[in-house]
Amino acid sequence: MVEYPEIDKYSALDSPMHRFDPRAKIVAFIVLIFAVVLVPNLKLALIALIGAILFLIVSKLPLRFALQHIKWVFLFVVPFIVIMPFTVPGTEIFSFFGLTMTYEGLEYGILVAVRALSAVILVLPMIATSKFNVTIKALGELKMPNMLVQMFMFTYRYIFVFVVEFQRTWRAMVARGFQLKTNLYALKMIGRALGTLFVRSYERGDRVYQALRARGYTAKPKTLVEFKMRASDYVWTAVIIGFAVSLLVVPFVEVL
Amino acid sequence: MREAITVRNLSYRYPDGSQALEDVNMEVYEGERIAVVGPNGAGKTTFMLHLNGTLRGSEGQIEIFGKNLEKMKREEIVKEVGMVFQDPDDQLFMPTIFDDIAFGPINLGLKEDEVRERVEKAISSLGLSGYEDKSPHHLSFGEKKKASLAAVMAMEPRILVLDEPTANLDPRSRAELIGILNELNEREGITMVIVTHDVNAIPELADRIYALNRTIIETGTPREIFFNGALLKQNKLDVPDVFKVFEVLRCFGVNCEKIPLSLDEAVSGLTKMIETEGGHIHLHIHEHTHDEIEKWRSKYEHH
Repeated sequence: MVEYPEIDKYSALDSPMHRFDPRAKIVAFIVLIFAVVLVPNLKLALIALIGAILFLIVSKLPLRFALQHIKWVFLFVVPFIVIMPFTVPGTEIFSFFGLTMTYEGLEYGILVAVRALSAVILVLPMIATSKFNVTIKALGELKMPNMLVQMFMFTYRYIFVFVVEFQRTWRAMVARGFQLKTNLYALKMIGRALGTLFVRSYERGDRVYQALRARGYTAKPKTLVEFKMRASDYVWTAVIIGFAVSLLVVPFVEVL
Repeated sequence: MREAITVRNLSYRYPDGSQALEDVNMEVYEGERIAVVGPNGAGKTTFMLHLNGTLRGSEGQIEIFGKNLEKMKREEIVKEVGMVFQDPDDQLFMPTIFDDIAFGPINLGLKEDEVRERVEKAISSLGLSGYEDKSPHHLSFGEKKKASLAAVMAMEPRILVLDEPTANLDPRSRAELIGILNELNEREGITMVIVTHDVNAIPELADRIYALNRTIIETGTPREIFFNGALLKQNKLDVPDVFKVFEVLRCFGVNCEKIPLSLDEAVSGLTKMIETEGGHIHLHIHEHTHDEIEKWRSKYEHH
């Protein structure tokens, strides 16, 4: 059996986040994520980060799994911490070779990083606590355009087929002595393998469409869903959105 | 008997201009099991795709229970003709098995409880209970194959068209699938058209064979087709292993009047033979055995 990099690997666990109605979960966390990326200062950003970590803990997702997913996104954030301190004008901390590190820059860099980190952490209790197909259904229920829902649905279904297909091609290459090196030849071969995968996917798309038509596909597939809001769903929605609103409102209150 | 499928003078040309099908004629009666055989590239899959209007021939016409396919609405066609494709990954396009099986019934415009009923029935009749919430990529090939059959059966078609249903299955899954198909045919009277290379399955799966190689070359019962040496050779077709074994036994002097095509037939044939010959059968090498074996060999050499 192939090991798939699945986002919903731990969707079968049991936690308040797992039991949370997927529709309410998506709406509540999206509001919170927007609030988190809009927090104006570092103090609030750190509170947001603590909040995000708490939600992650409540979701009972294993730390290793969480770090695996956070790691990659964080690679994109690191440049901000490095570049910002040297590009934002303000109070000088120190300078060398004509590069000046400023206090404001450092703060801004960290602020951006903390916001991003919090947002990424929040994606996990939102997405990884339901089976992905349930999340897609919830998006459909939330009136996301049908075309997009279908794209999600088919992408989710076929990404695994393509992974297996590429693995097969790759193994066939290795079995005939191909070695991955950083030379033009290796790059060329990988390009060709990807090209083959592309052509195969195109042909498969054709066959899938035939199969869809054979079962009466009319460009607007419907699925059966059973979502029901319970009291706890309203409570969690209130807690999350309440947290989001306070993150945004608190700075104005302080000013007053 | 009522004609379920009537194909008249069907021709089809690929977009690149090469002729895929030429003047194909076929009559399939209600409740009949038909095998379509032919070498690779003979146009079998292309032909199959005409039966539910996926492809439209340049000439000729197809009737489904007397109705012209051209004039039928899409929903009407898919309700009558279910199609099981060769690669279950092409056919299982929804994220879970439940959603996939429900897909067809929903498109037929059935009510929710009716859809659920159909899904449940299809799942239990194919032994897929417990798989409802699984994703196709977590299933074995055999399970996927059964799921794609369930997805089609949930639409309750009167005609079932299958492309290589037994290909790539392990022996046990293959036997299971053959059993399921025959049960569907017996219990629900479903008409079946099976495109296949699996000659060993044909005696069990088909009442009649159409040999296709761009056009219909021959039609007949499995027995008639498998005895037609010239036809087999010209079209790179093969006969069941049991059949070959008994042909060899014949060269060794076994006097069987009716060569069996399947294991079941072999058992009853052997029993009958032993009974009539006083409790045993004789194998011996006589003066023509060697020549006959040579002749037999050359019959199956496709050079």
